[in-house]
Amino acid sequence: MRVTLFDYGAGNLHSLAKALATAPGVEVRVQEDPSRALDTDVLVLPGVGAFGAAAARLEPGRDKMRQALEDGLPCLGICLGMQLMFDTSDEGGGWGLGFFRGQVTKLRSRRVPHIGWNSVEEDTALKSAKLGSVYYAHSFVCRAEEPGVVVGWTTHEEDRFPAAVRRGKVLGVQFHPEKSSAAGVRFVQAFLEEVRT
Amino acid sequence: MLTRRLIVCLDVKGGRVVKGVQFEGLRDVGDPVELAMRYEEAGADEVTFLDISASNEERGTLWDLVHRTAERLFIPLTVGGGVRTVDDVGRALRAGADKVSLNSAAVARPEVLTECAERFGAQCVVASIDAKRDGDRWRVYTHGGKKATDLDAVTWARECVKRGAGEILLTSIDRDGARSGYDLELTRTIAEQVDVPVIASGGAGNAEHVRAALQEGKAEAALVAGILHDGVTTVGAIKALLQKSGLGIRSL
Repeated sequence: MRVTLFDYGAGNLHSLAKALATAPGVEVRVQEDPSRALDTDVLVLPGVGAFGAAAARLEPGRDKMRQALEDGLPCLGICLGMQLMFDTSDEGGGWGLGFFRGQVTKLRSRRVPHIGWNSVEEDTALKSAKLGSVYYAHSFVCRAEEPGVVVGWTTHEEDRFPAAVRRGKVLGVQFHPEKSSAAGVRFVQAFLEEVRT
Repeated sequence: MLTRRLIVCLDVKGGRVVKGVQFEGLRDVGDPVELAMRYEEAGADEVTFLDISASNEERGTLWDLVHRTAERLFIPLTVGGGVRTVDDVGRALRAGADKVSLNSAAVARPEVLTECAERFGAQCVVASIDAKRDGDRWRVYTHGGKKATDLDAVTWARECVKRGAGEILLTSIDRDGARSGYDLELTRTIAEQVDVPVIASGGAGNAEHVRAALQEGKAEAALVAGILHDGVTTVGAIKALLQKSGLGIRSL
């Protein structure tokens, strides 16, 4: 199974690539071109960087990528990658994929960024891997307009926000599974297993 | 609820883990990749590499080390010590660091914090502050605790946050390596003055000291090094005490 990381040039892909590669029969690739990244069995939108810069890198292939997701291409978006699945962000200009409806806004908390391990409530993201404590490092969150897509919530101070959103084989998570130790790696493996069939 | 964090610090020099006492005298403690992985298995919430290399030649091994570690470590990795410019931060992140800490470079040119936060996000910018008691305040030191500045630690911490730091790594020079407990007054004073997480560092001699840093010191996280490397206590024993004390922590 070919798993392709769309690299918007921001940061650390090593841990994520290695976490994906722990699943059986997976061949991980990194692709900087958003259109070419679609020639794959599973697309992964990684989690480091700023929305504006990433949206600019996405722009030339945005419509194609959105269509590919609508047509059933499995996709895992992590942190910023999840935010890119939504319409727009207060963090920066440009357009996300708009696969999920809603805006990305700053956390309504005193302590921002939200850094550290937090729990996921009402977790229904995957059948075979349950989330306990997961690692977060972000200042912005996705305000999903369709409540049905939210498959897990996390609370930071007074702000309760979507920890995970899912429609079909497209899953976005605000936390970093590749930084959430053994449970996070199992979550990544379980996602690949679930979308494979 | 956000849990408190136990962060294991590995001082690295020339690709090996070393441990110093009050910034002087070094002992070899082992291989960084192996140690980092062992601490992840034991339940550490994060690992920090602090590069204390004296020469560029020694420091040249850092990026390769970060790369090798990031491929095998599945908890956050912070790198500090060899980082001066925005390009250095970019290189550290590319190599596999999740966060980068800046110390002397930020004092010399505070704008670097803003530049890094704008380019990579505040969540990966850690302002590392080495502070030493001076009468009724704390003075900021740079260059591994050797060089005194005119900065007051509390004022400087606020300035760092204003300029874009997403976390403060606060080390008490007086306590570093002394194992007599964290400087609780310093930690609490700064934790109450900033809205970003403060990581207490310097002085851990036992699990009880860690608990005090998080409760009385109001730190979000505590950095521990020597007492773990020497086997004085374990990650599991510290976390058990924290849990018993009513602190929210991540259990395995």
